[in-house]
Amino acid sequence: MPVTDTHRTVDAVFKLESAKIIATLTRMVRDVALAEELAQDALVAALEQWPASGVPDNPGAWLLAIAKRRAVDHIRRSRRLERKQEQLAHDLAHDRDRQPGPDSEHDHHQDDVLRLMFISCHPLLPTRERLALTLRLLGGLTAGEIARAFLTDEQTIAQRIAAAKRTLADARVPFELPPGAELAERLVSVLEVIYLIFNEGYAATSGDDLMRPGLTLEALRLGRLLAELAPQEAEVHGLVALMEIQQSRSAARTGPSGEPIPLHEQHRGRWDQLLVRRGFTAMLRAREIGAAPGPYVLQAAIAVSHAQAASAEDTDWARIASLYEALARLLPTPVVQLNRAVALAHAHGPQRGLDLVDSLTSDPALRDYHLLPGVRGDLLLRLGRSAEARREFERAAQLTRNVAERAFLLRRAEEITVTDASGPTLGQAAQDFLKCEDFTTPTVRSYAQTLRRLCRALGEGQPLHSMTAQQVARVFAATWPDAAATTWNRHRSAVRSFCAWADLDDLTVGLERRTGSGHATRPLSRTQLDALFGRTELPLRERTLWWLLHESGAGVTTVLSLNVEDLDLDDRRARTGGTWVSWRSGTARLLPALLSGRTRGPLFLADRRPAPARTPAAADLCPQTGRRRLSYERAEYLFKRTTKSLAPSADGYTLSQLKPRGS
Amino acid sequence: MRYLMTTKASSRTPDDSLFAEMGQFIEELTASGALLATGGLEPGGLRLTSVDGEITVTDGPFTEAKEAVVGFALIEARSQEEAVEHARRFRRIVGDGESEIRQVFSQ
Repeated sequence: MPVTDTHRTVDAVFKLESAKIIATLTRMVRDVALAEELAQDALVAALEQWPASGVPDNPGAWLLAIAKRRAVDHIRRSRRLERKQEQLAHDLAHDRDRQPGPDSEHDHHQDDVLRLMFISCHPLLPTRERLALTLRLLGGLTAGEIARAFLTDEQTIAQRIAAAKRTLADARVPFELPPGAELAERLVSVLEVIYLIFNEGYAATSGDDLMRPGLTLEALRLGRLLAELAPQEAEVHGLVALMEIQQSRSAARTGPSGEPIPLHEQHRGRWDQLLVRRGFTAMLRAREIGAAPGPYVLQAAIAVSHAQAASAEDTDWARIASLYEALARLLPTPVVQLNRAVALAHAHGPQRGLDLVDSLTSDPALRDYHLLPGVRGDLLLRLGRSAEARREFERAAQLTRNVAERAFLLRRAEEITVTDASGPTLGQAAQDFLKCEDFTTPTVRSYAQTLRRLCRALGEGQPLHSMTAQQVARVFAATWPDAAATTWNRHRSAVRSFCAWADLDDLTVGLERRTGSGHATRPLSRTQLDALFGRTELPLRERTLWWLLHESGAGVTTVLSLNVEDLDLDDRRARTGGTWVSWRSGTARLLPALLSGRTRGPLFLADRRPAPARTPAAADLCPQTGRRRLSYERAEYLFKRTTKSLAPSADGYTLSQLKPRGS
Repeated sequence: MRYLMTTKASSRTPDDSLFAEMGQFIEELTASGALLATGGLEPGGLRLTSVDGEITVTDGPFTEAKEAVVGFALIEARSQEEAVEHARRFRRIVGDGESEIRQVFSQ
């Protein structure tokens, strides 16, 4: 056999076996990084020997045997000779106890692979690192292959994998299944990683192609593997069912030039019945377990409903709408609500759907989400409001980062013939307005920022004279929900000037002028502070932050940038960015409880771990809890909300007012 | 990528241990998603021939028993080599004989 062919065979065998090999070695050497290195050694040995000796009878067993031998060699060489040898002796004895049937050995490997999955999806790791490490360790993919799948370069992936291994080693993450209650929580993380890999392949968020099939297949493979390893978990089968059925539509969901075809227009004959059937089987397994349906089982049930309908018209939309309602109770995200709106529109008419969609347009989380105007455009079109529909499709096209999808949305917009386009559009008017000669450069820049946002939210094609104050109020609520008073008022006055220039009614009538700024420089009085600090029922993090701001007089960003390792608790001070922040007894009393054993990372942490797409820099992530640094905006918002009842203007205070008087 | 593996009659006469080994193999491969469909084929079968638009149906068998395809498996694999690896494991169970692998082009 030519050498290159043998190389490809070695590669194929390694991909099939690597999870098992690395898992087994990790149990022996208790170190994922080392285990992976040893597995690589075995791979190299195969590449050297197989071209000459031929592929062995049982290539998987061959690789595992070589890798194990390397592991034993390593342990012998290792400096902590005795301890590890004891461990090894123990393991070997253990092996013998379990001896010798192929079944028990099989189970043994299975458990190890499951442990490895929990490690590579450990919540300690940022999501991007979890994805890369999982594909590496459990999928057997090289850094180069992973990089190509994620449209990034090999070095980036190699760095992510290395960083992940380092974090796991530093934290001494044990190679064992999470105990009892923790298992369910950790399983959520594993399922999330698999579904993210799937979605990255299925609904490519960027790039030219709508799908990158390699990733969907890897995710399916991992899901099926997990279903074998943890067969008693309904959510695992739910996820598998969901992926199998989504994947069954892969040939039908894009047209000849790569454009997306919506579900109800897909040619159902092209749905892969083999995968649909696998999906149904997985769903049955999930149902047999009988637990209350979790988010994946519910999403799978929705996919099953679609797959069961012989034609788009046969779809049981009422059932799907009720499944989305149940899902929205578990995952009350705007995206789920948006899908629910689509189902409601099908079940009970477009107006019902539009009502729900309109209630979402002021949600900041959906501000730049292209599917919102996409869905809205669809519903408007069905209601005969074609001019508005066209604008929504244009907006959706502007917001998506996927080339094929953008082309598709623009074509939908062009297909709509609009007859009532009279007078100038918002986009044109905004441009003319900014060209006005009597503005200074900073004003133009500031006005441009406001109007750009307005155009993006409402569509440049919106006829100027059809704009309403209600629309503007919604844009403000979605775009600048937590803006400081000065920022808010700046945007508000930009719109007012624009209206005056364009001879429109004042469209800002729905917007209150914010008054926070008047107080911003005035520190709180003793009485106000006492009222605030007297409220010990408030969260510890908030109280500590406020005490620290008050006692140190330091800036909010400075205090939020503090790291645990910067603190000198005895001297009641910390060094950050070249300055000292010092505090007194109020802060000192609260700090130890806030730290609760943490030794490094950001002092003030956000409540939740970052969303997958928003993984922050390592410096802003707590290595122990995986949470990110508390942001200025969030801290300000929480303070404002808490102090609303105390502030005379009912707007709440700003954090800078916590500075001591006279500072 | 999908591959169709067809198999001709093998030397090993089926016994309990072959069934057990094969059962486990099929179960594993199905669970991992590599095996999408599989089945055995009747020895004879029918042949349909079109000549000048006229279709004739003939009863089998058409080939020597050892040349006839007796089973098939539809396999999902990352690469041809991976498909071969699965087929290799299959051949090790059934003993001497012949299988063919061909990629199935998607619809």
